[in-house]
Amino acid sequence: MAEKDSRRIFYFMTLNFAFMLVQAGYGYVTDSLGLLSDSIHMFFDCLALGVGLFAAVASKWPPSERFPYGFGKIESLSGFGNGVFLMLISVEIMIEATERLADGRETKRLAELFVVSALGLAVNLIGMACFGHHGHAGHDHGGHDHGHDHGHSHENVNSHDHHGHDHDHDHTHEHDHGNQTPLLSDAPPKAVSLAGHSHGHGHSHDNENMHGIFLHVLADTMGSAAVMVSTALIYLIGWNGWDPLASCVIAILIFMSSIPLIKSSAKKLLLTVPDDVEYNLRATLAGVSDLRGVASYTVPRFWMGDENEAERVLGVMHIVATRGSDIDDVRERTRDFLVGKGVDVVLQVERDGDLSCWCGRSGDKRSPATPGF
Amino acid sequence: MASSLPIPAPPRTPTPPTPIREEEQEMGGGLGINGISRTVRSTMALDPNSLSPMTDTFPSRFGSMGSPMSSSANTPTFNNFNNNNTMGPPPLNAGTLNPNSTSTSNPNPFNFQTQTIKETPLSTIAKSVWLLPPFSSEQRLYLLSEQEIYANYYPKNIGQRRGHRYKHSSVSAQHQIFLEPPPRAPLALPASLPVPTLREAWQSTANMDKAQRLRILWCACHALVAAYVLYSASGSLAMTALSHLIFFDAISASICVAVEIFCNFEVWKRSSIRHPFGLERAEVLAGFAMSVFLLFMSFDLISHNLKHVLESLGSHQPHHPHSHHRVSPGSIDSAAVLSIVATLISAVVLDNHKRIGKAMRFVYLDNLPGILSNPAHLLTLSCSTLMLILPLLSINIYIWLDRLLCTLTAVAMFALGTRLAMTQGLMLLMSYSGTGVSEVMQQVVREPMVVGVEEARFWQVHFGLCMANLKLRVTGDETQVGKLRERIALLVRNRLGGGYGKGSGLKWEVTVQCTIEK
Repeated sequence: MAEKDSRRIFYFMTLNFAFMLVQAGYGYVTDSLGLLSDSIHMFFDCLALGVGLFAAVASKWPPSERFPYGFGKIESLSGFGNGVFLMLISVEIMIEATERLADGRETKRLAELFVVSALGLAVNLIGMACFGHHGHAGHDHGGHDHGHDHGHSHENVNSHDHHGHDHDHDHTHEHDHGNQTPLLSDAPPKAVSLAGHSHGHGHSHDNENMHGIFLHVLADTMGSAAVMVSTALIYLIGWNGWDPLASCVIAILIFMSSIPLIKSSAKKLLLTVPDDVEYNLRATLAGVSDLRGVASYTVPRFWMGDENEAERVLGVMHIVATRGSDIDDVRERTRDFLVGKGVDVVLQVERDGDLSCWCGRSGDKRSPATPGF
Repeated sequence: MASSLPIPAPPRTPTPPTPIREEEQEMGGGLGINGISRTVRSTMALDPNSLSPMTDTFPSRFGSMGSPMSSSANTPTFNNFNNNNTMGPPPLNAGTLNPNSTSTSNPNPFNFQTQTIKETPLSTIAKSVWLLPPFSSEQRLYLLSEQEIYANYYPKNIGQRRGHRYKHSSVSAQHQIFLEPPPRAPLALPASLPVPTLREAWQSTANMDKAQRLRILWCACHALVAAYVLYSASGSLAMTALSHLIFFDAISASICVAVEIFCNFEVWKRSSIRHPFGLERAEVLAGFAMSVFLLFMSFDLISHNLKHVLESLGSHQPHHPHSHHRVSPGSIDSAAVLSIVATLISAVVLDNHKRIGKAMRFVYLDNLPGILSNPAHLLTLSCSTLMLILPLLSINIYIWLDRLLCTLTAVAMFALGTRLAMTQGLMLLMSYSGTGVSEVMQQVVREPMVVGVEEARFWQVHFGLCMANLKLRVTGDETQVGKLRERIALLVRNRLGGGYGKGSGLKWEVTVQCTIEK
């Protein structure tokens, strides 16, 4: 499946790039500014796709000396970067839209614009078809097939319903929600579906890289659809404000939809331990202090490792062994205990009273009983 | 004095406060003549620094300085702040305020521990049993089965009896030949610390003699300068690029101030289970987002530039005619001056870009003096100086020069952004980008005691912390292994820590797991 992902990205990137070249060439020949600036935009899309492709490929690389924990985090990183990029783009679109609204600039060459955005829409729809399945966590495929039917009912709920008929861009992300704001609904339905099965898997296999790419393509699709609709409206009604208005609405939608992506990937990159894992870890730590020979522990640090898609808890801990216990034995038993709990920890076992370590142990807080009289 | 303040227990939120286990009401065999008094030690190791030390201590080398007090004294902000705590973080001084607190971290000059002596009520029963008129066969039988009586009297004792039968005989009770393992209080779990809300963060700045609020104010001013430069650009692409750069600086400065404010809170530095390294990695993440921002702006500038070029190539009328004489030749461009001043103030007062600059050393910039060695400042300052000088020298800013400057700035921004993204992205990918790891590992392998290396992971957590986690197979006895561990820790610190003078401020946390082969 992993290779499938990167192949998908690659195909779509090639398509995007080819389309960009054709567009730029044709624009140059016909001296069309709209085509040329759109191909610049396409180029940046290709860059984003390239980053995503790199992340998808690199995430399979094995750990090395330079990257001791592998590249599991690179997909979160790429997703985070893509999310930030999308947010910035939407902010820029909004600024430009207000500028244009204030300027009241006239949109020229409507027919050309319409054709260009129609072509862009076609390309991006292919992309949506590619990434639509895997854009999200992948456990909510159920409603995908009948998504088309709901297009119109959602249309009315959407805030950008003034351009009556662009359910092209709606149906593709229909499959994971039934609530009011299609784009924002990423997080809540997931939470609901999580409640059904066991904890601990909600955050795994959540490919933020593909999510980011999906959002990017989605944004483009909506962009070209909006341009089509607004040019049609300008042509029909004659008010130039449609275009900035539509792009503003879409920018807001993009902005909102990238928030959950940024949040989830930021949590992963900050090495935050999820709630349920934290709960289990607390129980495990309490268990460690009950082990024979363990006087105390210092600097327990745990984080989620995600090498090769398998999530496990990694960590570091310093154990203080009681006097008279065999250090190697304490290490072995503690390690077995922790591995049994699914925690892979580097254990440094120290002797009680040995203050040489950096972990700043305050010493004999827990020494065995001195003979009382 | 902050160093004399005790460090009380952090709240152990999720687990209910487990009471110190009551001394097992155990009764020995039938020979207990006297009442048995047993000592119960109630010690709880609740030193937060042992779970997540915030400073590097070398107790062995500095002798008595390695006490927890001295190590915590290095972070006075927490203590200061919590003296007038009105908000989020757990009150550090609760232990001293509460007379009933059982915290044993009260500084005790005599290093003995309070011992609670309990008269077990069983002893009286034992006496009464013993004082019964003896030696009738029934009584003897009664005496023999006394255990059962006690078991009935204290039903919870069932199944808890263990160990030596004669432990509580008069002999052993008085001479402590048979030692029970001390009753163990559960070890302290790392406290879970609340992440402050924005409001709490704002309130916390009130305690810092207004300095932090002034800094926030300055960041706003910096952003205003950026807006002014953008406003005064009036079509000049180079000036627009400069305003983008200043805006970037302003946001970075705000992040610097935000980091400083978050340092008021314990959750920032102290590790907990939820945030194993505190929240300090958030700064790296914010820096990464900022580098994406820089890249985005450079793309934006380039595409704008391209559009302008395309427009002028074709027969189209440019949207906004360029004012080539934005500033009359020979006069001073106030926007450029303002941007230089703002950059300098942010660099000197707020230490803008400082930690990132340290993490990412450009070799060829290292020799430049002061803040110029920081690429971000260098870029902004050189751009604004150029914008200041060009009109002064009465050089007309032609369209092509304007475009060239804009393109140059954008390319520089792109380069800087890429570099920033790489440096911080690598950190976020849990890697160590410095050199010398392989040398260290070679030296470790060369140690005669080391039989094999199972795992060696060197990585940088955030701007101030690196970790080295090694799993070794070794031979030798316990003391030798301890020495080896010390040697490796020292080796890592000396080789990778940057040594003295350079002031990289990198702390290395070395953990060596030694499997002793027999």
